[in-house]
Amino acid sequence: MIKVTSLSKKFGDLEVLKDINFEVSQGEIIVIIGPSGTGKSTLLRCLNYLETPTSGLIHIGDVNIDASSHTAKEVTALRKQSSFVFQNYSLFANKTALQNVAESLITVWGVPKTEALAKSEAILIKVGLKDKLHIYPSQLSGGQQQRVGIARAMAAKGEVILFDEPTSALDPEWVDEVLAVMKQLAVERQTMIVVTHEMQFAKEVADTVIFMEDGYIVEQGSPQQIFENPQHQRTKAFVKRALKKGY
Amino acid sequence: MQSSFDFQYIIELMPILLKYLGVTMEMALWGFVFALILALGLALVRVFKITFIQHLVSLYISFFRGTPLLVQLFLLYYGFPQFMPIFVGMDAFTAAIIGLSLHFSAYMAESIRAAILGIDKSQMEACLSLGMTRFQAMKRVILPQASRVATPSLMNYFIDMIKSTSLAFTLGVVEIMAKAQMEASSSFKFFESFLAVAIVYWVVVIIFTRIQHLLEYKLNKAY
Repeated sequence: MIKVTSLSKKFGDLEVLKDINFEVSQGEIIVIIGPSGTGKSTLLRCLNYLETPTSGLIHIGDVNIDASSHTAKEVTALRKQSSFVFQNYSLFANKTALQNVAESLITVWGVPKTEALAKSEAILIKVGLKDKLHIYPSQLSGGQQQRVGIARAMAAKGEVILFDEPTSALDPEWVDEVLAVMKQLAVERQTMIVVTHEMQFAKEVADTVIFMEDGYIVEQGSPQQIFENPQHQRTKAFVKRALKKGY
Repeated sequence: MQSSFDFQYIIELMPILLKYLGVTMEMALWGFVFALILALGLALVRVFKITFIQHLVSLYISFFRGTPLLVQLFLLYYGFPQFMPIFVGMDAFTAAIIGLSLHFSAYMAESIRAAILGIDKSQMEACLSLGMTRFQAMKRVILPQASRVATPSLMNYFIDMIKSTSLAFTLGVVEIMAKAQMEASSSFKFFESFLAVAIVYWVVVIIFTRIQHLLEYKLNKAY
């Protein structure tokens, strides 16, 4: 359902992503791990064209896009195929929780307003925010804001949800409630690509773990393979360090 | 020559001046509405860096900020009709509104642009990530937030514009300043006449300053 072929990204002379290739099938949960600054977030942002790749092909759903010849129309079409959960939530500050979730349904998908609001309300109830529907983001805790962020991504009719370190900006007390929502999505087989430092989450939830370093995919495999029997020296070193730090 | 201050004259002059306050406010309101529309367009051209046009916009803003309003009004009303016959039939009232709009739009465009650029980049990214176009993002998320930021300075420009309408009397528009001037010339009570008109402007500005504060309070409460 998702296929990334020879994706690369340069910022000036700095090559952040080098020949990235991977595939994701419907309902698969991919977790990308690796040291900071190795291009994990950039990869995710390229999948959504928030960063324009330097070269490579991305295929999501029924959209094919080639970095060397993409049009604005294709970019919008690609973005409709996925939705994004940001590290710093990035909720619309001028809209209530409910309006945040309903926005893409109304503006992008042309769903009638009452229907969009009803659907959004159901999603917010699902993520445990029944009593926060009409609250603005500034009055929500970090954990609540990120749950709205996930609800907003769930409402969009995309094929896949991209999570960019969804718990990194949270106070420790809010991390679990956000991970719980993500685990629930995993149980429902929502296709997800998650960049995270939460190793426990990766172990428990991922179907496939991708280990990235220096802009390369070093190794990918089942959580068991990556965490218990890594093949590459660099993966071994990283996993050992990460688990010791108690992520 | 020294004459005694005639307080009674000011009292009598007030209702006469107030009859012309409508002309002043009409110029200010229309001027502000047109300036706002124009400024929004100018600001968007600069924010989106639309090729070619953005240079024209920079030139426009530079000119209207770089020359006095009075000179612009004279150019527009006395100068242009000599070269462009289309302007010949233009009355002074219309010319004043056009002149005020053009002049203030240049300042207001910069406020609006700064407000838009002040909105965190992540707000635009969140819109785009959901498949919204840049235009939709502007309309639904960025501009509503920017308008809150820009309101205090835009209200200041409106208040400034009310006072600037007094220059329209140099084009022959009979508004409160022109009326005060006429009354002063016939009664020779210059001090009282101009004090009276100053009080009218002052009170109007105080009222709108109050409205500005209420508006800001309301906008700040929103989220």
